[in-house]
Amino acid sequence: MSQYDDVWLVIPAYNEGQVIADVVEGARKTFPNIVVVDDGSADDSAKHIMSTGAHLVRHPVNLGQGAALQTGLAYALAQQGAKYFATFDADGQHQTADVEKMVALLRTGEADVVLGSRFIEQNGQVPWIKRVVLRTAATVSPTARKLKLTDSHNGLRVLNREAAGRLRITMNGMAHASEIVSFLAGADLRVAELPVDILYTDYSRAKGQSLINGVNIIFDISLRERGRR
Amino acid sequence: MNYFWIQLVLIAGAVILAFMFIRRWDAANTRAWKRIAFSVFVVANIYAILRPSDVTWFAHKMGVGRGTDLVLYVMVLAMGFLTLNTFLRFRSLEKKLTDLARTVAINEGARLNEERFDLDLPVSAPVNSSGA
Repeated sequence: MSQYDDVWLVIPAYNEGQVIADVVEGARKTFPNIVVVDDGSADDSAKHIMSTGAHLVRHPVNLGQGAALQTGLAYALAQQGAKYFATFDADGQHQTADVEKMVALLRTGEADVVLGSRFIEQNGQVPWIKRVVLRTAATVSPTARKLKLTDSHNGLRVLNREAAGRLRITMNGMAHASEIVSFLAGADLRVAELPVDILYTDYSRAKGQSLINGVNIIFDISLRERGRR
Repeated sequence: MNYFWIQLVLIAGAVILAFMFIRRWDAANTRAWKRIAFSVFVVANIYAILRPSDVTWFAHKMGVGRGTDLVLYVMVLAMGFLTLNTFLRFRSLEKKLTDLARTVAINEGARLNEERFDLDLPVSAPVNSSGA
């Protein structure tokens, strides 16, 4: 029994065989409940996840990170006693200590959703070009401004049951980060930000979002509301 | 030359295109209109092949110099509709695929993890046959 029995970590993984087992085992020292969504990986990610104590859910085909997150949340929501849901990156850049802080804030009942931010406290870990682009994204996005967010594209988030149950990620690709923010802005939920540390290792840097992919994200977002049935 | 009619047709086409983009696409009556448009297209095609000079006559009426130009304009519009139709159809398919894959993944995952951790989930609790 752990004090975090009611917390579920949702980790989307795509071709993370190299690191996934270490990341999961590291996180499981604190959080016993983890579901890893293998998003149709071509490598041996599934085998590595099976070797850990995490639940494994496998997409039969690759759908994208947004879809993997939604699947993981749906799975975790169905588990008994699950109250808090954290989205966590598979590449090892997030710290469980940060999740603990975020869960603690949710437990006080003062917020429904806590988002991680790289920019509340100035830290030198974020490469400067990335800092400029991400700050711009947070500043120009009307929804991020409404919520007064400093970082709209952080993968570390903790949601309570109400927020997780209402969230519907429809953007399968990387545009889901903006989609989540706009959902939070539209929903009647209390959103807070906490500073988090990001470990930019060579591995996570190589796997991370290239800035040019931002063009795809902007395109996806601008089409999101169109032609909806 | 008076360009009024061709301008009207092309602008109307563009407006309808934009309108369909933001409105529901797969509704039954939209589908019916698409079929009517296709039938008209086929009939117009055959007519234009049989009497090419009529196309030029009609082009003049519309304010276009040559029949070929009129055909080109109409083709641009048709191309636009086709692209939009394909795009929306693909997206709707993608959504269905996602829902399907998610359902499969969660069901499979629940079964697999139940075995791995010897969980007793109420959803799919193993049924013991009596006397086993």
